[in-house]
Order: sequence, then structure tokens, then C-alpha cells
Amino acid sequence: MTTATQTLTATRANERFAAIALAAFLGLGLVFLAGFSPASALHNAAHDFRHTQNFPCH
Amino acid sequence: MISRLLSAALAAGFLAAVVATALQLTLTSPLIVEAERYEAHEVQAARGLPIVRAHLHRVHGGHDHGGAQAAPEWQPGAGLPRMAFTGLATLVGGVGYALLLGAVMLALGREPTPERALAFAVAGFLSVALAPALGLPPELPGSEQAPLATRQAWWLMTAAATGMGLYLIAVRRSGIAVVGGLVLIVAPHLAGAPEVAAAKSELPAGLAAQFAARSLAIGFVFWAVIGLAYGWAWQVFGRRGAARA
Repeated sequence: MTTATQTLTATRANERFAAIALAAFLGLGLVFLAGFSPASALHNAAHDFRHTQNFPCH
Repeated sequence: MISRLLSAALAAGFLAAVVATALQLTLTSPLIVEAERYEAHEVQAARGLPIVRAHLHRVHGGHDHGGAQAAPEWQPGAGLPRMAFTGLATLVGGVGYALLLGAVMLALGREPTPERALAFAVAGFLSVALAPALGLPPELPGSEQAPLATRQAWWLMTAAATGMGLYLIAVRRSGIAVVGGLVLIVAPHLAGAPEVAAAKSELPAGLAAQFAARSLAIGFVFWAVIGLAYGWAWQVFGRRGAARA
């Protein structure tokens, strides 16, 4: 019983950590793509968004 | 938990992008196009579509924006394609911000409700929009001066320091944490932002001022919708999950 509870708690903690890491990684990646990526095609596509959201642009 | 976070962030990012894109297309995009008209006027070798043409003249300034001799860069066509890509970029940015909001709330062990997520979203707005704007005001094309890398570095440093400072003040709350938080928030501004455009530009000042104000207002609405929608979606997907279990 105790072991089962501990395993469940450990699984929860692991899942929580995985969720935080995945969301942070994906979130930073998407914000980088939209706001910072130096590739000119990405810059030009996101140009008006970058200016409006005050990302440093060109 | 992972799928609940991802679903809530997707829903929040989408809703925020719909609202922010509508505001951008009506309030700021016309000003950007107007500013490009002034820029294009200055450029002798005008060619290509507006975004690239407007940036041609800064090539000699050491920017990394392809030389005039380089092949024409891809860019969305004027009108509808450009609007669509603005919407797409807003969606990508909105989902990204919503994921970061979700990660921070989960890491701090705060159950997202619309009210709580809104509070975190306001902190997000202060960190990535308002604080960097104190040193680097939202700029129309053609009014930037300092090198891009320097401005991006200062922007990132300011956003990170402000976020960390707000965390120390609002979450940690001990005396020393509050003092440390205030120091973190003020430090980037004492260090000083890269020089703001002092050189003269043909852009009317009124246009630039209107753009800066509208840009910050849209940024606030963007974040507010992200927060409210994330808290709402988190609760909805939680109930769905519980019903299925």
C-alpha cells in the first residue's frame, strides 16, 4: 500500500516535471521562431507581428 | 497532465491570436505600411515588395539583412498573404507564450483558474512587453538604430530580470526577496538600453507615438486573453479528463 502510494507519487512528480520541461521547451522554441529567428523568410513572415509585439526587429 | 497543459495552451494561444490579429490588422498594420511608404520614398533603388524594400537602405549599416546584391528574399505578398502570415506568427507566438505561462504555473504549483492565470499573464506582459518597452520603445520600420543583436540581448536580459524580480516580489515575498526583486527589475534600466534612435527620420513623430501606444495596448490584450483563456481551458480539459476516467 505504502509502496503503491509512493510509486504513484513518484509517477505524478515525474509527469509534472516532464510536463514543465516539455511546455517550457516548446514555448521557448515557438517564441524564438515568431520573435527572434534570424532566418530572413521567418523574419519577413512574422515582420508585422514582431513590430507590434515589440520584439527587436532588423 | 501533459496533454491537459498542451491542449489548454493551444486553445489559449488560438483565442488570443484571433483577438490580437484582429487588433493588429486594424490598429498597427496600417501604420507599418504607412511607415514603409516613407522609407520607400528614401530608398533610391526601390525594388521588390514593401518589407524588403523598406529595409534595403540599412544594408550599409552593417545589419544582417542580406546585401542589395543578394538574391531577393522571400516575403509574403502585399495584402491578404501578408495579413495571413501576421496571423500565423501571432498564433505561433500566442501558443508559445501560453505554454510558458502553463509551465511557470505548474512549476510554482498554482492551479490555473481564469483569475490566477490572468495574474500570471499580467506578469508576463510586464516582463516581455512593458519593461523592455521602457528602454526600447515599440518602433516602426525605419526608426531603429542600435545593432539588432545588442537590442535582442538587452530585450532578453530585461525580460528575464523582470520576470525573476516579479517572482521574488509576488511569490517569495520575504523582505530580502522583495529588495532583490526590485534590484533585478531596475538593474537593466540602470545599465541602460542600447541607444534609441537619435538620428533624424522622415517618419512623422505622431505616427511613431501612435504606434507605440497601440502596440502596448495590443500586447496587454494579447496577454490578458492568453491568461483568461488558459485558466478557462485548463478547467474545461480537467473536467473532461475526470469525466473520462
